Amino acid sequence: MTTSTVAETAAPAPRRFSRTSPSLLLVVAMGAFLVLSAVRTFTGGYDLTSSGTVAAGLSAAVPIGLAGLGGLWAERSGVVNIGLEGMMILGTWGCGFLGYNHGPWAGLLFGTLLGAAGGLIHAIATVTFGVDHIISGVAINIIAPGLALYLTKVTFAHYEGGGQKQSPPINDAKAITLPFSHWLHTIEDKHWFAVSDLAGLIGGVTTRLSLVTLLAVLVLVGSGWILWRTAFGLRLRSCGEAPYAAESLGVNVYKYKYIAVVVSGAMAGLGGSALAISAHQFRDGQTGGRGFIGLAALIFGNWRPGSLAAGAGLFGYTDAIQLRSSAAVHALLLLMAIALALIAVWQWRTGQRTIAVVALVIAVLSVLWFADTKKVPDELVGTTPYVVTILVLALASQRLRMPKADGKVYRRGEGH
Amino acid sequence: MLLAACGSDSKSTTPAASGSGSSSTASSGLKVGLAYDIGGRGDKSFNDAAAAGLDAAKAKYNLAPGDVKELEAAQGEAEADKEARLTQLADNGYTTIIAVGFAYSNAIKAVVPKYPNIKFAIIDDNAVQSPNLADLTFAEEQGSFLVGAIAALKSTKHHVGFIGGVNVALIQKFQAGFDAGAKAADPQVKIEDKYLTTPPDFGGFNDATKGETAANGIYDAGADVIFAAAGGSGSGVFKAAKAKGAKAIGTDSDQYQSAAADVKSVIISSMLKRVDVAVGTFIDSVKAGTFKAGNTVFDLKSGGVDFSTSGGQIDDIKAKIDAFKKQIIDGTITVPTKP
Repeated sequence: MTTSTVAETAAPAPRRFSRTSPSLLLVVAMGAFLVLSAVRTFTGGYDLTSSGTVAAGLSAAVPIGLAGLGGLWAERSGVVNIGLEGMMILGTWGCGFLGYNHGPWAGLLFGTLLGAAGGLIHAIATVTFGVDHIISGVAINIIAPGLALYLTKVTFAHYEGGGQKQSPPINDAKAITLPFSHWLHTIEDKHWFAVSDLAGLIGGVTTRLSLVTLLAVLVLVGSGWILWRTAFGLRLRSCGEAPYAAESLGVNVYKYKYIAVVVSGAMAGLGGSALAISAHQFRDGQTGGRGFIGLAALIFGNWRPGSLAAGAGLFGYTDAIQLRSSAAVHALLLLMAIALALIAVWQWRTGQRTIAVVALVIAVLSVLWFADTKKVPDELVGTTPYVVTILVLALASQRLRMPKADGKVYRRGEGH
Repeated sequence: MLLAACGSDSKSTTPAASGSGSSSTASSGLKVGLAYDIGGRGDKSFNDAAAAGLDAAKAKYNLAPGDVKELEAAQGEAEADKEARLTQLADNGYTTIIAVGFAYSNAIKAVVPKYPNIKFAIIDDNAVQSPNLADLTFAEEQGSFLVGAIAALKSTKHHVGFIGGVNVALIQKFQAGFDAGAKAADPQVKIEDKYLTTPPDFGGFNDATKGETAANGIYDAGADVIFAAAGGSGSGVFKAAKAKGAKAIGTDSDQYQSAAADVKSVIISSMLKRVDVAVGTFIDSVKAGTFKAGNTVFDLKSGGVDFSTSGGQIDDIKAKIDAFKKQIIDGTITVPTKP
């Protein structure tokens, strides 16, 4: 996916940015919402737009999005970080360690610090010693769970309410509920077209919204701002695109890579902490691959914060749907078919005919499946978030371009 | 991988340990090896129940540390690791070996014929038959029937829910019993069934956030009592019940006793699965020379499954539940094992 893709995408890339203007985004969002309510009304899959789904989807998306954001920081500086899962595990343990007796925020801080420590190890290995990024990341993914388990045995196993595989319970972070959300629930229960759906969407975001979720959103927006709107961010990204050019302009590439990878670990640690808080405790194996899903969201999101958040959100939303209601998964088939049909039209117009045909064929098959069955088999329901996210993102984003020097070992003064 | 390293580490130290305890070996004659399922000792659920049975036997027969060996499984390990664990126990002189969990089924099949003089037991599995293997299973459907009846009788909306950790035959027995019990107690009851994950993803036994999301979905759909047969994910179900002002039922051990203080009030009962009884009975039988190969089912009659009353929230309906229990024991009610 490296040189040939880069060569192909070099020309159309600028055009793409001019297309995503705010007004266009608004039109697309409104169109998507109307389609969503239409499908909800037609199928009776109320959980498609219920406040419960929105709230659960949002909290499921937070750890994934933060892991992806960690990947964004590292890879924008040119360091591939597949050790995100391991750093997340360090975060979950750290959050359990301080969280159970000093409250969730102390736990969150310590989990973030431990994640950053994992990032520092990755930075020392890859930036200072020039170890292959993948090998270092895999090593962290293997060491972290073992280390967390060992630490659990020497600490939590002796605590009241703890065990050899889990921490004592952590209290919930404060959650805010806006005063009008009660009315929104009343409107939502009427199941009116568009109105009730809007009430569900807003109600889900304004009812018992955890401050951790709010923090995650701020971190996402802040990261985007720092990386794309400040001189610091420009220098950091230049290290990922053309480190020797940056070096020739006086940028200390080692320093920027170090900062980026440590921040990357901190983000993953924060994601792990958020997960531990929402699960009320540290448990061995609780990350369940979320770090890797975040990495996938980063790649499908074309190494951009907005698209990466959309990917994490899509995964969280569909995961919430499949866990809450099998009926809504059936309705989701129709929704996915419409989304893929729209993608097909758009890809056809941009000249990607093969992709368009593939998307259209899958869309037709989904409609047939929807029409021919009453429910999706239980064995397949659990795969919903993976299938939907991969199909939608893979078919929608065909011009992926990773940072040019991503994953390459940089040595000062060795540019030619 | 790190865990595997620990395993081989302990292998090298084991002979020394058993050597030092050789005098006590001669006196008690029992050398017990126990291989845990994922989660291991300290999971506050299934494995801890097995550990409790082992601890009781240790005290009863005054076993020395060298006479008992416990090994743990790692998440996502290969079949060969399980075989190696059982072989390691057998090669190190442990003559009474217990494999905790159906995950050991294939490993037991490969290892048991090689050691005809060692007595093996596997818990929750009846797929392998051998003259030196005891297959210890439970009538989970019978205990689940009773908590199904409890759920239906305690539901004010005639609407209850079931959450299974992973969609495997074992957990389907819980669901079958629960559904049948709920319908027996309240013919109009509406039941929501949900499994958190499907094999090969066994994360559904260990993901409280998934449990919470699924439980919220079922409570939002109108149910007010949920039976959580989902291992470690159950704590998420209790959390959801607390937030919604609803009720929940636990599994395996009496979860009212082990749950966090703030969610105790939502746990009205637990389906008890006495893995400790099975482990203890097996060790007793080897000790007494009354080992019985083949399947032994621990059911309501033998006290292998039951329901808990801690918290006192089902005292008002206990007589009705005991009546169901009696009917199951005397055979008037036959509980299905498949949903």
